[in-house]
Amino acid sequence: MSILNKFLPNVMPIWDQVWQATLETLYMTFFSAIIAGILGLIVGILLVVYDQGGIMPHPAVYSILDKIVNIFRSIPFVILLAVIYPLTRLLVHTTIGNTAALVPLVVGTIPFYARQVQNALVQVDGGIIEAAQAMGASNIDIIFRVYLREGLPDLIRVSVLTLISLIGLTAMAGAVGAGGLGNLAVSIGYQRFQNDVTFVAMIIILIMVFIVQGVGDWLTRLTTHV
Amino acid sequence: MATIIDLKDITVTFKNKASTVHAVQDVSLQVEAGDTYGIVGYSGAGKSTLVRVINYLQKPTSGTAIVNGQALGKLDKDQLRVARRKIGMIFQHFNLMNSRTIAGNIEYPLRYSKLTKAGRAKKVQELLALVGLSDKADAYPAQLSGGQKQRVGIARALANDPEILLCDEATSALDPKTTGEIIDLLKRLNQQLHITIVFITHEMSAVKSLCNHVAVMEAGKIVERGALLDIFSNPQQALTRDFINTATQLDTALAEVRKQPAVINLPANARLVHLSYTGASTDQPLIAGLYQQYGITANILYGNIEFLQDVPVGNLIVILTGDTTKLPTAFSQLRDQGVTVTLLDPKGDAVD
Repeated sequence: MSILNKFLPNVMPIWDQVWQATLETLYMTFFSAIIAGILGLIVGILLVVYDQGGIMPHPAVYSILDKIVNIFRSIPFVILLAVIYPLTRLLVHTTIGNTAALVPLVVGTIPFYARQVQNALVQVDGGIIEAAQAMGASNIDIIFRVYLREGLPDLIRVSVLTLISLIGLTAMAGAVGAGGLGNLAVSIGYQRFQNDVTFVAMIIILIMVFIVQGVGDWLTRLTTHV
Repeated sequence: MATIIDLKDITVTFKNKASTVHAVQDVSLQVEAGDTYGIVGYSGAGKSTLVRVINYLQKPTSGTAIVNGQALGKLDKDQLRVARRKIGMIFQHFNLMNSRTIAGNIEYPLRYSKLTKAGRAKKVQELLALVGLSDKADAYPAQLSGGQKQRVGIARALANDPEILLCDEATSALDPKTTGEIIDLLKRLNQQLHITIVFITHEMSAVKSLCNHVAVMEAGKIVERGALLDIFSNPQQALTRDFINTATQLDTALAEVRKQPAVINLPANARLVHLSYTGASTDQPLIAGLYQQYGITANILYGNIEFLQDVPVGNLIVILTGDTTKLPTAFSQLRDQGVTVTLLDPKGDAVD
């Protein structure tokens, strides 16, 4: 313990705060991943099926979805945090704290994930889709039993990518009052010149990223039959 | 026999901002139940588009398609899906689902059948046995060879006991030996199950060994059609002859023949001639007759006899030498005997 006290003088007295911040980061990541994951997946699927050459081509709807996704993807997250606060207040009646951070995190992640899902699903061989149509499969059936199943390894890959980027966004949200490890690193580590706190926050985030990446790689291997 | 596929005045036009493509133009096609119908053409001829009209994967711009007694254009979405289950289809690149096992791939179309889970498993086993892949049930497509993948494709296409099997370039990605095996399998299925086969390809050799009818397509139109034997023994169109010569390897033979000294230094009283004959003509002593009657000698440079649906079809490339005044008479007599006589230019293309 004396070594820890020597190298992490400022961290040792506030371990409970570090732990609390870690839980907050996990909380923000987990819930925004679930909500943005479901909504992003839906938008991504719609982009694929409504696209020209999709199973339900609809140029007008596709064009609108496509533009919305592009616009929201173009807004830098730091600015989105600020721009979106009226919506946040409307939805959760506050603009600070973990739960309030979920709103910009979800809004920022949906278009990113939707585009990733689209990119993953268009990889599914058009011939396989055509074969399913020739067998008399319905569109819903093709989405769930062909697209999502055949595209699963790629979906896992882009989900890992999104999750890692989401962990990064939670840290950024933390810097503007959302709590979590980002907040810890900035408001204690950076502003009080306690570099060991910043360092520990970084290490914990890295561990999270490695775990997500490792689990993702394992799942990808499990679902790939090539 | 009843007409199972009846396409009337089918036109398919693809339009985009830049251009309009007439993929299929005013094509009518009747296929009888139990037929093995080959449609031959080079890429871009519109044959893949035409075959997709038969299961309405491609809705025609105009024209009607009556398949299994149903006018496909009059069906709603759900009825069309039901109709498609009686029209199997296999593809050039097999289009198997990589995430499912072989058994899983074959079971996929059975989702809509009324079979119980046990019944489906039994059906999958039967289909695997039918295509000779019983030991591969738990393998994944990536572990199979091309020929095995196409067998899975066939088993999957047959899952709902269809009346028709559409084959879109089904052997074009396979080597010649595997192509032969798949053709044999299709032939056997046609005989055992009486399933009607429509076979799209650019390889006349595949059509030659499988089909009883053939249509030749070019630029969205059928330029020639008929019973296989008629087409092979008496092709009317240059394109058809092209395909046939490739299939019988006559064109490669001819290229070799033209390199022979006897052809290069062809004397004035000699002619390079292609003789082709079908069925009964093969029983007559053609060459001997030429010598006895006209004193014309024949030097055979290439010969090939094949059996198309059990009828012998012969092709000879010969140099006929003799009195130049008698040669034309000899040719017309050969023609009277049912032999197709084509004078060949020793240096270039065929001259008729």
